[in-house]
Amino acid sequence: MTNRREFLQKVLAILGLTTLASFVYPLTKYFSPPAEESAAKLLVLSRKDIAVGDAQEVVFNNTPCVVINRPDKGFVALSRVCTHLGCLVEYQKDKKRLLCPCHAGTYDLAGSVTSGPPPKPLLQFPLKVEGDSIIIG
Amino acid sequence: MWNIVKKWIEVRIGLDELVKTQLTEYLVPRNINLFYTLGFVALGGFVVQIITGFFLLTYYVPHTDHAFKSVQDIMVNVPYGWLFRLMHVVGSNLIVASVGAHMLSVFFMNSYKKPRELTWLVGASMLLITLTFCLSGYLLPWSQLSYWATTIVTNIPSAIPSVGDFAVQMSRGGQNVSGATLGRFFALHVGILPALLAGLLGTHLFLVRRIGISAPPFGPSKKEKNPWTAFRHEHHPDGHPFFPHFVLKEAAMVMAFFAVVFFVITFAPALFSPEDASLPADPFRTPAHIKPEWYFLAAYQMLKIVPNKFAGISLQIIIVTLFLFWPFLDTAKEDNILKRRVLLGLFLAACLGWIVLTIWGKYS
Amino acid sequence: MRYLLSCFFILACATIGAAAQSTEPVCIQCHDTDMMKAGLRKVPAEWRKSWHYQNGVACNDCHGGDPIDAAMAMSPQRGFAGKPSYEGVPEFCGKCHIGILKNYRESGHGKALKASGSGPNCVTCHGSHAIQKANIDIINEERCTQCHSYDRAEIMKQALFATEKNIRDIDNSLKRLSSQGMYTEEEGKELFRIEAEFRTLFHTADVSLVKQKTDGFQQKLDTLNKKIDVLFTELHTRRNFSGFLLLLFGGMSIVLFLLAKDFFKRGEEK
Repeated sequence: MTNRREFLQKVLAILGLTTLASFVYPLTKYFSPPAEESAAKLLVLSRKDIAVGDAQEVVFNNTPCVVINRPDKGFVALSRVCTHLGCLVEYQKDKKRLLCPCHAGTYDLAGSVTSGPPPKPLLQFPLKVEGDSIIIG
Repeated sequence: MWNIVKKWIEVRIGLDELVKTQLTEYLVPRNINLFYTLGFVALGGFVVQIITGFFLLTYYVPHTDHAFKSVQDIMVNVPYGWLFRLMHVVGSNLIVASVGAHMLSVFFMNSYKKPRELTWLVGASMLLITLTFCLSGYLLPWSQLSYWATTIVTNIPSAIPSVGDFAVQMSRGGQNVSGATLGRFFALHVGILPALLAGLLGTHLFLVRRIGISAPPFGPSKKEKNPWTAFRHEHHPDGHPFFPHFVLKEAAMVMAFFAVVFFVITFAPALFSPEDASLPADPFRTPAHIKPEWYFLAAYQMLKIVPNKFAGISLQIIIVTLFLFWPFLDTAKEDNILKRRVLLGLFLAACLGWIVLTIWGKYS
Repeated sequence: MRYLLSCFFILACATIGAAAQSTEPVCIQCHDTDMMKAGLRKVPAEWRKSWHYQNGVACNDCHGGDPIDAAMAMSPQRGFAGKPSYEGVPEFCGKCHIGILKNYRESGHGKALKASGSGPNCVTCHGSHAIQKANIDIINEERCTQCHSYDRAEIMKQALFATEKNIRDIDNSLKRLSSQGMYTEEEGKELFRIEAEFRTLFHTADVSLVKQKTDGFQQKLDTLNKKIDVLFTELHTRRNFSGFLLLLFGGMSIVLFLLAKDFFKRGEEK
């Protein structure tokens, strides 16, 4: 009788400790700060490549983007992924806007929605201009 | 080593006496059954909700611009975030089930009768608080489902004349569900309700311990109880020790509760998250079919079938009032429900009615 | 007070509708009644079957007019455009579907319509109000032989087939992942992007262009498939872990029950 009880208690202890350990590990990972992004990848472009009013399509962080040289506000890096359903927007130099060919969503050159179905503005990426270089990221 | 620690504590607070009176020599009724563990199961569930809630609080952002994304981050990017979030979601549904089961078994055994009316009142209030927890928590992920289900629910008081609209605006913090609603629901869910619940829970446990556990009324008829005119604690001298006998049973049931939680997480992780739960809230687009969670379906269907909105709400308020104050309405001496055909019939009819309304609500 | 508040919250249920139903434009109020000619009266029902309806695109989004104020519902001041002419249909639909309009205009079909006034417009293949989500079976013998033999269309359909199947498979995988609680928004957007680009190809009616572009699409779809595989792996890892926890808790439950039984039995025997 006591043997049975002791046996059960031993099994319970093992299961209990295993369960505890199975939570301690996830908890440690859950609360650990994320591994430092290894020198966050930057994209460098040459300023000369983009004339005023023009734009260049690039890929940054696996996202198709467009870097626009706005006449009034300078360079900006916007994601080309339309916030409606994901089609890629196109820069229209003459209309000074970005247009999505799927359902005619339009954005201004700051990425804000000006008409159509998109629910949110275009994602913007940090951009610095240093001398002749444009650094994105 | 352990003995040294025990002696140190014993000298200061009289640990041995506490252990004897509260645990090993505290006796529970001889014919106690498994249903008596359900209250503790609910308690265990709540503790887990609080703990997983704390964890989620570390990463959740209660602002309309960030709420949805922060929950998504927890599910996708934070290591094991999915585990704690799913435990919280699945756990919340299972707690409602265990609290409901606890209530049904207490009712069935007529344990709400004198001198336990207050215990029932406090417990019934806790059921309402639990449901409010569920309601407020539902909004926090700020998904389509959250937004629109909350819009519908907070619209219900509008059927009450004169104070209805005020009540709606108070609950929403404005005309429509918005960031203000999120703010107050978050405050409720994380601050106000836990404090309320803790207070009520403490009272509930105190009352249970102070008055004593009621014995199941079934089996050979007991001797006629003395009329209850003065306080006395209900002893069970021929009973089993609370510790370790009954505590082991309670622990087993709590483990079973978690086994069910992990069963759901393993085999049906999206059981309580319909498609609308994975879309961010869009105040300009109402989804085609919004249904409340399963535990609200019966009330939902009941409101649907009563043609007049005000009558519908009044009916529900009346039912809730009856529910809260039932021990003051049922003061009969007989506590064996099997000998009270009318009450038994009513009980079964209510259960059946609830099940039917729930299923109807799901498919209507 | 607390109880009353709790009651309000507990009466948590959807009341019939007022808040729940999406409000339909005011146009429906007349067009759904027998004031209308039979042809016009069936339009609301057809629209409700459409993919447009499911995505919140209503009468005024195409035809203009005011969706709320009945008096201005058909007012030119609110941009009411009425029913487009046969030749005007492409521009009408192209107000939103810009990319497709461009491809169509450059295609044999578009040129035929412009030159002679006859040829397929959008409605010919997609219908006007009961519009369904685009799929490869819109190209079929019955439809295409209205004007010419089916062989050209058949070749086009074959060229599109493999990519179409790939897209469908990925769509199903994403649905499966989503039904298991995984977040697939980014991948869904990527698929939609590829699918939309692919669909515009349909409208060029140019088989050689399709064949040329197919490889590119295959590559993109393969990349997407790899991402989906990663998601499936993650899903399985999660399932295994929670299954492990299930076994632990189930085991502890059983052991505790057995222990309890042991204690109770000893108690009985005393």
